[in-house]
Amino acid sequence: MKRISRVLVANRGEIAVRVIRACRELGLETIVTVSEADRESLPAKMADRAVCIGPPAPMQSYLKVDTIIAAALGTGSDAIHPGYGFLAEQPQLAQMCTTHGLIFVGPKADHIKRMGDKLYARKLVGKLGIPIIPGSELVSDLVEATEAAENVGYPVLLKAAAGGGGKGMKIVEQPEDLKTVFDEASAEALSAFGDDRIYVEHYIPNARHIEVQIIGDRFGNAIHLFERDCSLQRRYQKMVEEAPSPAVSPELRDAFCEAAVRIAKQIGYENAGTIEFLLDQDQGQFYFLEMNTRIQVEHPVTEMISGIDLVKEQFRVASGDSFSVTQEEVKRSGHAIECRINAESPNADFAPCPGRIGQWELPEREGVRIDSHCYPGYFVPPYYDSLLAKLITWGKDRDQAIQSMQKALMNFTVSGVDTTIPFHRFIMKSPDYLTGKINTGWIEKSLIKEYVR
Amino acid sequence: MEGIDQDDVIQILRMLEESTFDELRLEMGGLTLVASKSSKKTGPVEKLEFDDEESADSKAVVAPTAMEREEKAPIQQPQVEEGKGLIAIKSPMLGTFYSAPKPGADPFVEVGQLVSEEDSVCIIEVMKLFNTVKANVRGRIAKILVENGQMVEYQQTLFLMEELEEAETGGEEDLS
Repeated sequence: MKRISRVLVANRGEIAVRVIRACRELGLETIVTVSEADRESLPAKMADRAVCIGPPAPMQSYLKVDTIIAAALGTGSDAIHPGYGFLAEQPQLAQMCTTHGLIFVGPKADHIKRMGDKLYARKLVGKLGIPIIPGSELVSDLVEATEAAENVGYPVLLKAAAGGGGKGMKIVEQPEDLKTVFDEASAEALSAFGDDRIYVEHYIPNARHIEVQIIGDRFGNAIHLFERDCSLQRRYQKMVEEAPSPAVSPELRDAFCEAAVRIAKQIGYENAGTIEFLLDQDQGQFYFLEMNTRIQVEHPVTEMISGIDLVKEQFRVASGDSFSVTQEEVKRSGHAIECRINAESPNADFAPCPGRIGQWELPEREGVRIDSHCYPGYFVPPYYDSLLAKLITWGKDRDQAIQSMQKALMNFTVSGVDTTIPFHRFIMKSPDYLTGKINTGWIEKSLIKEYVR
Repeated sequence: MEGIDQDDVIQILRMLEESTFDELRLEMGGLTLVASKSSKKTGPVEKLEFDDEESADSKAVVAPTAMEREEKAPIQQPQVEEGKGLIAIKSPMLGTFYSAPKPGADPFVEVGQLVSEEDSVCIIEVMKLFNTVKANVRGRIAKILVENGQMVEYQQTLFLMEELEEAETGGEEDLS
């Protein structure tokens, strides 16, 4: 790292731990920003220094661009790693880094901004001849929305142009429901993203969510690290991810991986990013969905099958080097699965369950990786998301990875807070999951009902 | 400065003086004006901070060059010192601590000085926004724990104060 020696980690939780670990291995000093609620957190203990940036509420701490820049400058940091969430996809932070001579470990502000606008991204990708889901331009009122919905065909999704992370989407099954849902969707988009622009997209019921990990450098090179299948979702929030996808032929894989690289090269994308696709399982056709301009929660499954440390690659690229491998050197080996262990009660409609953890016993064995910031006695604060740990298993094939996950879930003991572990055990035993007969609606439409019973 | 100059400020202060209000806080772009009427009627100005060219230049944070990066200062943990029986004045935000209203000016307070609730004790700057910190308690400055120009964290202790005897009945424990 020629140009980076001290890194400000502007995040919390497991991703802060993950980034600090990568920094240590690269010989970089670390400063982590903490809110008052995170002073005693694991990242605070691991980093060379923790800097308190404000009260617990994210708006007054982790989302304050000025304060984070001031913290980076005041501690003599040369780079800021934003993790995911919080300011990772706010172009202001990337922009302010440039203004103040700091390195943003992520894409350029301009790329965050452009690809964050879903309509812009759709147009750009459509021009490259890559399939996009039939959809409309912006619709400004109910009349336009009605016409657009007729054109693309029901069922439709109303999507916030500024949405992302699974937020700001609503399904309309039939024309009668359009008015109510349209009003709800506009209001929600405005309150969640400060932008009420909405467009209409055809909804594909029997779909898989498949995304391609890419990484680009400042010399215009871009490579892919194959796909992740993130079809197991509840309310558009991913619960289980795996790589490779069990539902993809080699020809199809080549096609969407090539498409992903083409998109990255077209915009001259720098750093790690993800191109998301929907695979229509009835038609055997994939469509571009959106681009995520950050490192993602589920990046470990890609690391497990490729042997490439994506966070370290982020630092390499940010410091002006190219990535450590060529496309030909990226090889896939075996199968990896990740379960997101959240502090939520699966028996109470997944209500968040903050509080003090009592027992925290991890299933440590070969082929099992756990990314977490928790420990026995840790207090899970109520101000942030509910992710406690990512449990990742690797096997020579999918069956082995599943068996390893089943065992790991049985040996993962948490007391004090409710977790999604029992629900994951249920998924890993479900015949539909084992045989790969699932889609993005499967958890909500069928599995949850079985589980409650 | 866009649109507002010294004369405008004087005008604003006159209006405050003549009004029935006790305090005024005005934020416009880079400018923050905080004024309040003192009970002793010695004039309304409490604090006036301009983000003008001059102060911007003198306080601008200059990105270190590659050369400077080589000889980087070691990471320093903030000093934690809570005196027995002393009251802490803590920083309301993360930012740069300034002990004086302007570079080269006398510091707001020095060790041994008596201060009352409304007295300013320092400025905390976050990206050119200057925030005046008040003592909020009557007492004598016993210790200054941070240096001029140093970055301070949210809730970091800046000063330790001895409570004044006559204030002891006032019950000011709510300070931290």
